[in-house]
This record gives sequence, structure tokens and C-alpha cells, in this order.
Amino acid sequence: MRRVAITGFGVVSPVGVGREAFWDALRNGRSGIGRISRFDCTTFAVQLAGEVKGELALPSEVADVAADDPKVGFAFAAAREALAGAGVEELSAEALLHVGTSLEAFDLEKVIHNGEPDFRAVAERCLSGEIQRFQIPLDTAARLLCETFGRPRQALTNCSACAAGAQAIGHGFRSVRSELFELALCGGFDSMINPLGVGGFQLLGALTADNERGPGACRPFDAARSGTVLGEGAAMLVLEPLEKARADGKHILAEVCGYGSTLDAYSLSAPDPDGDGATRAMRAALEDAGLRPDQIAHINAHGTGTRLNDEVEALAIRRVFEGVWQHIPVSSTKSMTGHLIAAAGAIEAGACLLPLLQGMMPPNPSLSRVGSGCELAHVTGEAAAFDGEYVLSNSFGFGGQNATLVLRRFDGRG
Amino acid sequence: MEAADVVVTGIGMVTPLGATAPSTGDGWRVGQSARRRTLSELAGTPLERAEVGVLPELDAVGRLGGRRMLKYMSDASVLGCLAAREAAEDALLKQRFRPERVGIYSGTGLAAANVEDVVPMLRESIGADRRFSCRLFGERGLAATNPLLSFKILANMPPCLVSILEHVKGPNFIFTPWEGQTGAAFEQAWMAVANGEVDAALAGGADNPAYPATVVYLRKHGLLRDGEYPSAGAGYVVMERAESAMRDDRRAHAQVVRVDLQASDGGSRDPLAARVGRTFAAAPAILVALACQAPIGPVSLCGVDRQEFRAELKEPS
Repeated sequence: MRRVAITGFGVVSPVGVGREAFWDALRNGRSGIGRISRFDCTTFAVQLAGEVKGELALPSEVADVAADDPKVGFAFAAAREALAGAGVEELSAEALLHVGTSLEAFDLEKVIHNGEPDFRAVAERCLSGEIQRFQIPLDTAARLLCETFGRPRQALTNCSACAAGAQAIGHGFRSVRSELFELALCGGFDSMINPLGVGGFQLLGALTADNERGPGACRPFDAARSGTVLGEGAAMLVLEPLEKARADGKHILAEVCGYGSTLDAYSLSAPDPDGDGATRAMRAALEDAGLRPDQIAHINAHGTGTRLNDEVEALAIRRVFEGVWQHIPVSSTKSMTGHLIAAAGAIEAGACLLPLLQGMMPPNPSLSRVGSGCELAHVTGEAAAFDGEYVLSNSFGFGGQNATLVLRRFDGRG
Repeated sequence: MEAADVVVTGIGMVTPLGATAPSTGDGWRVGQSARRRTLSELAGTPLERAEVGVLPELDAVGRLGGRRMLKYMSDASVLGCLAAREAAEDALLKQRFRPERVGIYSGTGLAAANVEDVVPMLRESIGADRRFSCRLFGERGLAATNPLLSFKILANMPPCLVSILEHVKGPNFIFTPWEGQTGAAFEQAWMAVANGEVDAALAGGADNPAYPATVVYLRKHGLLRDGEYPSAGAGYVVMERAESAMRDDRRAHAQVVRVDLQASDGGSRDPLAARVGRTFAAAPAILVALACQAPIGPVSLCGVDRQEFRAELKEPS
């Protein structure tokens, strides 16, 4: 089977737009979390999120959709950067496009007419063209990418919640490795920073209402963690056969070398307390990569900052890496970016490129006292030096979907 | 590893033609067409005569074993769980395979929140200016809705519910929202079984495009041709290697020789459209499930996402 190179990476995140800004923020422990500005959150219990700042210079047809559904613009900008970085101008019939996302954008304001929720009036206004967009399907970004960059053989939209981005990369990796495709543009994009998204997750009790803590409110593995913080953005990778990339003289950022996917089959809202699904996802990824646990030198945890998730993930990591976990540094970058839901796995794969390319592991700056059951070799305070070969990234989703990726430092040999 | 022969040993369907695979298959073979109705929610609009397919009576509580899980489920989730349960029982999935060695590969359609969940929330969120007020939404609107609303509208929930109900713990992919995406799910399922990544795969899709808001979307964007109508539906099949079916003396409905998905410049084409209705994300699954019953043969359709799904089926050897 072929080795698979990452030849392009693009990112739009709460800590920075573009890969250099993103890595710089992570290296320096800068949080992108703050008070929600996207809508009036005054009466919401949850008032924090990781919002994307700045303009994305989108083409007009994309900007038009992004005005109603910002995540579409994030996807486009991240894909554009990834493709440019890889020197790819067009998606051909040998290419795969696979992107993950989660929740359709609905404009609640449009459902109200003359002071009442009035579906008939909405229907008429939609049909007459007065309302251009009421419901924006999740494949909209994929469609716009195809219209702009060409049609790949397959264009897929994955909706596996928090595991979607990692699944998309895992599928892209396997498709290139097994010679089904010559190139994969894959990743995730998301934004739930709207009244329904924040409100819905608030109702589920998944978000912290510790608004006073501001940038430090998302505290993965901390004893006082009280829930996650929603983030938004996108990250895209270009994957190609390593030998071909080398022959073409491309700059290889790293390799993808393992992927595992499992289901908890336990609960929609809570992980299996035994950590079985997470354990099996990590083991499957290690087996896929042909690695022993002690060969992993760094882990980017799913680390959401919710009480049960962090404890279960820590348990699973200690089990998979029994005897060696004390020596494997763990970063939790949601402490800075917030939880990007369907984009989380992709943006965290991008965070894994920082140690592999620059030799620095991002810190978990909001971790001050490790919670009971959350004992791991956390990277706290400042970024830490890294000189290992393999890193592992976890993504565990609402509904019980788990995905793990293994990345490798490119050693310069083809 | 050499690719193994893959067979279908379980079929489940819920369509306007029937609440089960046998009843849907019988209806299809005798030339039955879906009963249709108009939607009261669209009365007085330009779509007041627009029809949708009508599903038969469903005993979701009885077949899924209680009301507890139903409170989490959208309509599409219920249909998906019913079809998956039927397919899993047909193949004796729980009895024959380790949960970790079974995967789920599924397609889901456009999100559709129930009116009863949304309207009370919005009523509480209307300000003095008779418009939506974010402040009131946060203050009162949220409290007026189903706290489990997110579970009903997140697109991955239907297959996740299937995983819980059928105790499936293996690899998985969930794609959305059109036909080609469910086609991709079938391709992944077939490959995972053929190359030994899993011992069995539940592959399918569920969709409810007959929901009023979705009907508006489909009509506004020209996704239904003249005479076409949307229908809710679901289909699931269990794929496994021919070797395991033979070992366990299980009847194979059909052999899956090949599945693929390709970009296509042709217009959308759904062989079920006239008699079942357009079921979008469920269509490839229903098509395959029907084709596993006599007469067995190749199937193809082209989704509104401009991707052509093809599955080559034949009589099991």
C-alpha cells in the first residue's frame, strides 16, 4: 500500500485565519474564546464562543451564501488555502472531496410573519423569491467547491458530528493509500454560533456557563471544568501519494499513517463510561498504522472540557498506552479554539502538524489542577518541545461515533 | 487481502408501499403505487395541491421496544430504526456477529424539525415589534422547546440510534443529504465487508422529504420534476461475506458484485420516483433492498447531487 503525504493544509479558526497564524497562536497558548458577538446573547446562560475574526476575501457567490451560513465561507477559505499550498489548481476525476459538517443553518427570524410563526407565509415568501434562503443543505460547501475548483470523481458530505472531520481525513487517507484516488481534499467545517446552535447545546447541558472566565473558560481535564465552549471554523488537508508528491517536488508537511473508527452504541449524549469505544478507535488506528503504543510521542486529545467526556477519554488513553502514558505529552487545543464540532477532527489534525513541522506541542493553558480521573501527561502552561515521530489525534462525537488519526513526521525519504 | 464475495442476508424497508420489506416487495411486484395526500400546512399557498406519499401504519413502539428511545427520534430516525431492525433480524445480526466487527454505513436527508417542537419556542420569542427577538429566545423561547431538539435535528442521529438499538460498535460513515451520499455509504459498506475490515455491515438510508418545509425547499429549487412527489422512506440491508452466510446456513438474498459512485453530468434519475415517490437519501437503499428480491439485477440512479450510484447484484451462487 502507498504512503500518504499531506501536501496542503488550510485553516480558518478562532485563533487565526491561515496556517501560520493558527500555529503561532497555538504555540503561544493564545485563546480565541470570548463573548459571543454574532448575536445578542444577553439572556442566554451561555455567552462564550470561539468566533472567527476577520475577513476571508471570498468570491461573491460564496460570500452571498456565507452571509446566511458562515461555515460555508470557512470551508471555502480553508480549501482554497490547502489547494494553493499543495499547488493544486483543479480537482480532477482522480480526486476525492470529502468534507464533514454538522447542522443546517436555519434563520429563525424568517419563520415569523406579522408577529406569529406562520409556516404558510414563509412558504409563500420562499416560493415567490422574497426569501432566498431558508434552509441551507449541508452539501452546499461541497457544491460550491466543485463549482470553483472542478468536479472530483466523488464529492461527499459527512455528518458524523464531532467525528466528521477526522472521518473525512481517515477516508481520504485510506482512499489514496489503496490507490482508489490520486488526491483527496478532505477536512471539516462548522459553525453553531447562532441562537439555535448555542441554545440547543445549552439545553443539553454541554456548554459551560462560566462566562466570567472568558478566554480560559474551556478547561479540558481540569478539576473545575464545567462544559465545553463552541468554536467555529474549518480545516482542510490535501492528501497525495507520497512518492508522487516527492517526484513532483512538493513540500510534504507530514504523513497520515493510521485511522480507526468505532461506535459506542451506548448513549446519544454520553460516552460509554468504560471508554470502550474510544479505546477501540485508538487501537484500530495504531493497528492500521502498524505501530505499538510506545511509538506514539504525542496525543492531541478530544478534550472537550465536559466532565464525563474528559474522564472517559483519559481512562481510554491510560488503557491503550498502559505503562507508557506517563511519557506521552497530551495537548488539548479546544482550550484555545473551543469545540469546532464537525471541524474539530480536522483542525486538530492541523494542530498535530505543529509538533511534526516545528517541534512544538501546543499547551492546554486553562488547565491548572488536573481533575480526578483525568491524569495524563498534560502539556500545561507553555508549548513543549517535541522530537518524536508519531502523533495521535482523537475525535469522539455526540451519538457515540469515535475516530482516531495517526500522523507521522516526514523523514525526507520516499 | 483478496476481496471476498459479498452477499445480502438481511433486508428491511419502510416505504409508502409497505411497512416491511416483504410488503414493500409485494407491492412493487404487483405494480402498486404510493397513496398520496396534500399537506394541510401548505393549504392556501401555491403548493396547496402538491402531494406527498403516504406511509402505512407503523407500530414503532412495538417494533422498537418501547417509548423511551422514541422521544429522541425525528421521523426519519424512526423509519431508519424500523428498517434497520428488520434487516438486522433477518440476518440474525446480533446473534451471529460480535458488535465490534459490524459497521454502519448510512445516508440521511435534509434536517426537519417537527412543528410542535419549533412553534412554541418561536411564539415565546416574538418581541413587541412582532419580530423574532434573540433576547426573548434566550429568556423564554428555549425553555418552551423540547430540550432534546438537537438530537432530533443533528443529521448523524438516525444511524447513531440504529447503532444503539442494534448494538453495532464497528467502523462507520454517515453522509448527507442526497442520493449520491447514500450511494457512497453503500460503496463503503461493500468495500469494508469485501476487504475484511468488518464481518458484516448495516448499510442504508432514511429520509423524510415529505415534511412541509422540505417540500417547499424541493419545489423552490426545482428538485422535483412535474408529476414527481416526495415520500418518506427507509431501507437497510445487511451485507456479509458469502463464506459466513454459508457457514451459518443463512439464506443469501443476493450477491453484491460491485458498488460504485461516480460524478455524472446527467440529470437526476430515480427508478422509484413514479411509484414510491422521491425518497432522496433513502432511495439507493430502497432500490438495493428491492433489487435483492426477485427479480435480482443491477440497479442505478443519479442523485440531485449529480453523482451516479450503481450496484451490480446477482443471484447468490
